[in-house]
Amino acid sequence: MSQRDEPAGSIYDLGYRRYDGPRLGRRHAMLSLYLFSLRGAFGLGRRTSSKIIPIAIAIIAATPAVIQLGVGAIVSSEHLHVIRPENYFNFIQIAVALFCAAVAPEVMGRDQRTRTLPLYFSRALLRSDYVLGKLAALWTALLFLTFVPQALLFLGNGMASSNSTGYWRDNWMDFPRIVASGALVAALFASLSLLVAAQTARRAYATVSVIALFVISSVISEVISGTAGGVWGQAAVLLTPFEVVRATILWVFQSNAESGSALAQADLPGYVFFAMLCAATAIAAWLVVRRYERIAV
Amino acid sequence: MPLLSTRELSKRYPGVTALDGLSIELEPGVIGLVGANGAGKSTLLKILLGLLAPTSGEATLLGYDVRRQGPELRQFVGYMPEHDCLPNDVSATEFVAHMAQINGLPRAAARERTAETLRHVGLFEERYREIRGYSTGMKQRVKLAQALVHDPRVMLLDEPTNGLDPAGREDMLDLVRRTGNEFGIAIIMASHLLGEIERVCDHLVVIDAGRLLRSAAIGEFTQRTQVLAVEIEGDAGPLAGRLAASGLRVKMEEHTVLIGIEAGQTPYDAIRDTVADLGLGLVRLEQRRQNLEDLFRTPEREDADVAAG
Repeated sequence: MSQRDEPAGSIYDLGYRRYDGPRLGRRHAMLSLYLFSLRGAFGLGRRTSSKIIPIAIAIIAATPAVIQLGVGAIVSSEHLHVIRPENYFNFIQIAVALFCAAVAPEVMGRDQRTRTLPLYFSRALLRSDYVLGKLAALWTALLFLTFVPQALLFLGNGMASSNSTGYWRDNWMDFPRIVASGALVAALFASLSLLVAAQTARRAYATVSVIALFVISSVISEVISGTAGGVWGQAAVLLTPFEVVRATILWVFQSNAESGSALAQADLPGYVFFAMLCAATAIAAWLVVRRYERIAV
Repeated sequence: MPLLSTRELSKRYPGVTALDGLSIELEPGVIGLVGANGAGKSTLLKILLGLLAPTSGEATLLGYDVRRQGPELRQFVGYMPEHDCLPNDVSATEFVAHMAQINGLPRAAARERTAETLRHVGLFEERYREIRGYSTGMKQRVKLAQALVHDPRVMLLDEPTNGLDPAGREDMLDLVRRTGNEFGIAIIMASHLLGEIERVCDHLVVIDAGRLLRSAAIGEFTQRTQVLAVEIEGDAGPLAGRLAASGLRVKMEEHTVLIGIEAGQTPYDAIRDTVADLGLGLVRLEQRRQNLEDLFRTPEREDADVAAG
């Protein structure tokens, strides 16, 4: 206020003006929170150090597509093995998990850490709106890993082909499948990692816990399928997000698991994995909402 | 329409009663909410904001039921919490504009009002820097700005001078008073410092142990009786005697004479002359600030104390 007290300061003091424009309510609030959180997920509008990790991981996830397109530009198409979209997730699963571990605590724990939650919850927004806005933000951020590289690959392979329109005509069904599988994968990883990140305000704990969720679930699943026989051994594969996602992608593309893989051994119909993915996503999202309904601010 | 109305509002935690059947009705204005730490001030504010659900009872703010019409009500409410609540890694401009949008303002309007509001609270070039580098005083201003940016009809301020140095305190109180008086925004300000409330508010609500102790215009607290303390070197007896003889109500402490002054009386010159006549050294002549303990005694008893002296 020292500035205000200076005579020159009064030049800038236009007095207080009332606002009688529109107040757009909850939906606008959710949309704003979504965009703000999405920008935050990639560190946009923040210092450079907040951008490095999310953007680097997103680039890693796009690397297989870039390499294949590069090779395709050099090698003639008869000798080229294109990456099938249903296999792309195998290249990026670690990147997706790391991205969740790095970004989910930023999206979800941050307002708990800085105690900003009371400012949100004392505004024109419900607690469930807040959670859904955050969930949508992480989901969209994950699409940059699970959808964008494959869409580039689809377009790039077509353009590199000697007969572009022919390529797209023959493979057009791939595109809605790329959209659907990318959206489903992002949804499961977003809600599971937010559920973990929502449990603690401490960033480091959240990051480690998200990684632990993916590692431990895989270990448990492998141990059960290795030791238990019959239906329990088969069903154990449903406990690890990676396999559920892989199987759902194969189901979306109407493709089969490689023989000898865990999925081939489990030999469950594809819709079971799809149902498991949807159920896990919905339950995790509901649990986050419940947690935030009850959190004391 | 009253600004705030509560009926038998209670909040109980296991083993602790934070609010105990609080019933109160307040007209718009600049309202001070005073009480010792733990008296229930923050609890009341949080219930009004929908951050806490009351155990029982009802409350309406601006005519909206705080439990059933929360989102509608909160479009018109600004809240400044007692604690730190700002992210470190964004600028004040970006954060306050974001908060304005969360309150429903379109993007362009949010940006425009953010610039105006930050200027109003006295943040200039630094508003484009990360909040991490701000002083406590600057952070308090950002907190006030985010409560004001959407042009609320009522602002709830919880200890707005928390952590500020004396100069920052003055600035903040000045801002709060201007916001309330010049902009016509109703303010409910919680504080445990009566002096602050006195300077800013026109109505005072005193709560203690979750119960309403008193709610009245500020004048009724300060005008009824003012107590003047005259501290001298040596024995206060003769001075007290002379002043009592001249018709003032006095009470004697060791080196101090307390004088109860009715509205309209101006005995200052007489006191000075009496001290000079007696050849006493005058150490201090001051208006006794009423503090919380004084308030918790009834004014009648205080008058009686002085009169009995």
